[in-house]
Amino acid sequence: MKLVGTSKPLHDAKGKVSGTTIYAGDMMLPHMSYADLVTSTIPHGMVKSIDKSEALKVPGVIDILDCFNTTNKKFSRYKTLAWQDVPEQDCIFNQHVRFVGDRVALVVAETLEAAKKAARLVKVEYEEYPFAVTSQEAMSGKIDNVYEEGAVFEALHCEMGDKSKIAPDTVKITTNTHLSRIHHAAMETHCCVANYDKSMDQLTIWSPNQACFGIRAVVSDLFEMPYHKVRVIKTTMGGSFGGKQEWMLEPVTAAAALRVKRPVKLVFNRSQEFTSTISRSPMDSVVTTQFTKEGQLQSIELDNTLNAGAYLGNSLDYCGAMSKKMFRTYHYPYAKYSSRAVITNNPVSGAFRGWTAPELCIMIEHNLNMAARKLNIDPLELRIKNAAVPGSLDLALEETLDNAHVKECLELGRDKFDWYNRRKANREFNAQNKRYKRGTAVAAGGHLSGYFPRIPDFSEVGLKMTESGSVIVSISLHDHGCGTVQAMRMIVADALEIGEDMVLVGEADTQTTPFDVGCFSSRTTYVLGKNAYKSAVAMKKRMKNAVSRILNFDEDDIEIHDGIVTCVGHPNFKWTYGDVARESLHILKEELSIHEQYKNKSNPAVNGVHFAEVEVDTYTGMTRILNYLAVHDIGQAINREICIAQTQGAVLMGGGAAIYEHGFVRENGQPLTSFKDYHLINSYEAPNIQVEFIEDGSLDGPYGAKSIGEVCHVEPTAAVMGAINEALQSDFDTVPINPDAIVKYLASKEEK
Amino acid sequence: MLLTFKVNGVTRSLEVSPAKRLLDILREDLELTGTKEGCGEGECGACTVILNGEAVHSCLCVAAQLEGSEVVTIEGLEENGELSIIQNAFYEEIAVQCGFCTTGMIMSTKALLMHNPHPTEEEIRIALSGNICRCSGYTQIIRAVLRSAKEMGEQ
Repeated sequence: MKLVGTSKPLHDAKGKVSGTTIYAGDMMLPHMSYADLVTSTIPHGMVKSIDKSEALKVPGVIDILDCFNTTNKKFSRYKTLAWQDVPEQDCIFNQHVRFVGDRVALVVAETLEAAKKAARLVKVEYEEYPFAVTSQEAMSGKIDNVYEEGAVFEALHCEMGDKSKIAPDTVKITTNTHLSRIHHAAMETHCCVANYDKSMDQLTIWSPNQACFGIRAVVSDLFEMPYHKVRVIKTTMGGSFGGKQEWMLEPVTAAAALRVKRPVKLVFNRSQEFTSTISRSPMDSVVTTQFTKEGQLQSIELDNTLNAGAYLGNSLDYCGAMSKKMFRTYHYPYAKYSSRAVITNNPVSGAFRGWTAPELCIMIEHNLNMAARKLNIDPLELRIKNAAVPGSLDLALEETLDNAHVKECLELGRDKFDWYNRRKANREFNAQNKRYKRGTAVAAGGHLSGYFPRIPDFSEVGLKMTESGSVIVSISLHDHGCGTVQAMRMIVADALEIGEDMVLVGEADTQTTPFDVGCFSSRTTYVLGKNAYKSAVAMKKRMKNAVSRILNFDEDDIEIHDGIVTCVGHPNFKWTYGDVARESLHILKEELSIHEQYKNKSNPAVNGVHFAEVEVDTYTGMTRILNYLAVHDIGQAINREICIAQTQGAVLMGGGAAIYEHGFVRENGQPLTSFKDYHLINSYEAPNIQVEFIEDGSLDGPYGAKSIGEVCHVEPTAAVMGAINEALQSDFDTVPINPDAIVKYLASKEEK
Repeated sequence: MLLTFKVNGVTRSLEVSPAKRLLDILREDLELTGTKEGCGEGECGACTVILNGEAVHSCLCVAAQLEGSEVVTIEGLEENGELSIIQNAFYEEIAVQCGFCTTGMIMSTKALLMHNPHPTEEEIRIALSGNICRCSGYTQIIRAVLRSAKEMGEQ
């Protein structure tokens, strides 16, 4: 390994610092037209009529699509596999509108200015229905007309492990947790360009997305086109965090391109981003744990109500996913899980970085903190006592956790963060300070490194060698901007013993790259990376085979080192890779190419333990994160600084969710629409975040690598929440714990 | 209105609506798409450019205020076809992930170093507090600014 484990700029970083990298919103095609969306201004109702007369008078308007002149065939924004059985509730434009921001019409014009102007002139007449903002309201029966099935969808109820193994005489701890809606807030808003070439009957879609083949399935099925007629190309992505794994724009833009038969560009503004994409669902949960008096965890029972927003999207699967993550961190005999998704007249809930693992972590870690108080055990020691160990069985997935290192993460963090002394110093500080209060807490979490065993988890990679000895890797990556392309280059370059500049790795394009189920469940490095590695190893074998046939050498005598091919017993023979590629084409009439298939059959534990120290200003309710440490069991960092930077970004994202970020919906059903009301931690507020990795390889990952992108977002909210509760000796169970909440709590405490 | 102003050292004359945002003039009329729109309300900093020597949100400036002005965008930073010191520092320090905030971040850095060639870490954190990065924890970005200041000082 020469590159793996070092730090390299991303493959496209030069373009990004020069401003020359083209994102979908920057694309310019001949005859491009521009679209703007008309969305529902009411939270629930029926569109009675749409008056387009004034809008159509705006010079440059080409056409206006709406719920009356466009197919009302239903689709699922969440569908990512052609064979996936998911509830289909979305129409391209909805006559029955279910939230403020629901799609009603789309104006297509010669210029963006004209499209925006006309969109404002489209007059929609509604019949208004009663609406529900919260899950509790919806569960009262108020909006049972929202779907034929009503508003409440029971999801997974299950038991895992063995109830009879629970020790006698346990202490029961019950806690509630209430999570607010949060937004991905990727800097690049959602956008899509689509073009329909009538002469070829070919639809092409460009978008920053996490599953080109999923979009192909949804759009092809919607418009009844054979799959080869719909080409989906992944563009450079300006951040996703799960927000770009569901399809809000692609079906709409495709419908417009099919209608006007020329390229159409649709770019959401920030307001549309907040209202009309997806966001993380609010959740209300009750957690009951049982511990022995010594603090040995015996069981977790968790009941969760998820606010799905106006369309089910991924919510039923999201409910189910949480149960599958209940044994990734702690080892205990029994769990029970029940959940339901409740339709409300809110923006639609959907995928978010961690896919319920951060939510679960908040719920469980809050319960553990309260348990530690009741049992009078140090919170860190309580976690060490219950940490999953190497070889533990995940009772949800019924698979081994492999070399889980939760305990090592806890112990390393304890030492590096000076846990006991820091907490002692906090207590002394608090005793001497009236206004400022400090607290330190720990949170442990776990995640996955792929889909296995729940969903087919396989990879196809093509690799071919050019006459100069460089390689082109054909692989359906969906790089979010966090460097999976660069990670693949490093893996392939090391396996082939060449420089990274000799490796070209593309991204997903359904016409030219092999099938892939998409970038989900932190599977890219672990599964696709492994197959990229296997492809490079296979290429070495392929080169040896070619040389043996060209020169009649014994294949076993041929050796490859540092980009040079030699042969035992033939001291004068020395070929470069380029020589082999050229001679193979020339003599054997064969391109040096590989198509490698790989079916993943493991899913080792990947864990993080985060430590946060905060200071709360009891006069203003403001919280500052003073110090932070994230320890991760990562197997092997591929691109080290990027793994660190991603982890630090996740800490600010999760830390922000603990103290600021709240995607509220007002009582009148109007949702948040602006960054003015959705503060993200900035450079001035950001603490220095220390990151430590434990690296001792994994079962199957390339060079022993496991995942990092999601697991680092599992712990931060729980850690910061715990630290605030420690500082104030409070039991806040609702996040965000923003200044309003803190001031209100302190005032009520004073009254008592 | 006929707008005449300088962009990256070149005088440009355009027929635009007085209310057209500088951001849209750059991206649509001049095809300088390196400047990004993140929020359209001056909250995220992705659209930062330098107007008459000051960092501004190009989403909040309109054509009516630009007559005779001088604008520098990310496309104007390269020197003799090579990355400028700041661009190179962002590249080398791995301060770039998704890249959508990067150009605005670099323009804010440029403006900071024009006014304060030797900023402390605290001054950098304050100067960049209007530029949001959702991918990182700002560590590599701050390192890139410190490196830029050092290398510019050595020049």
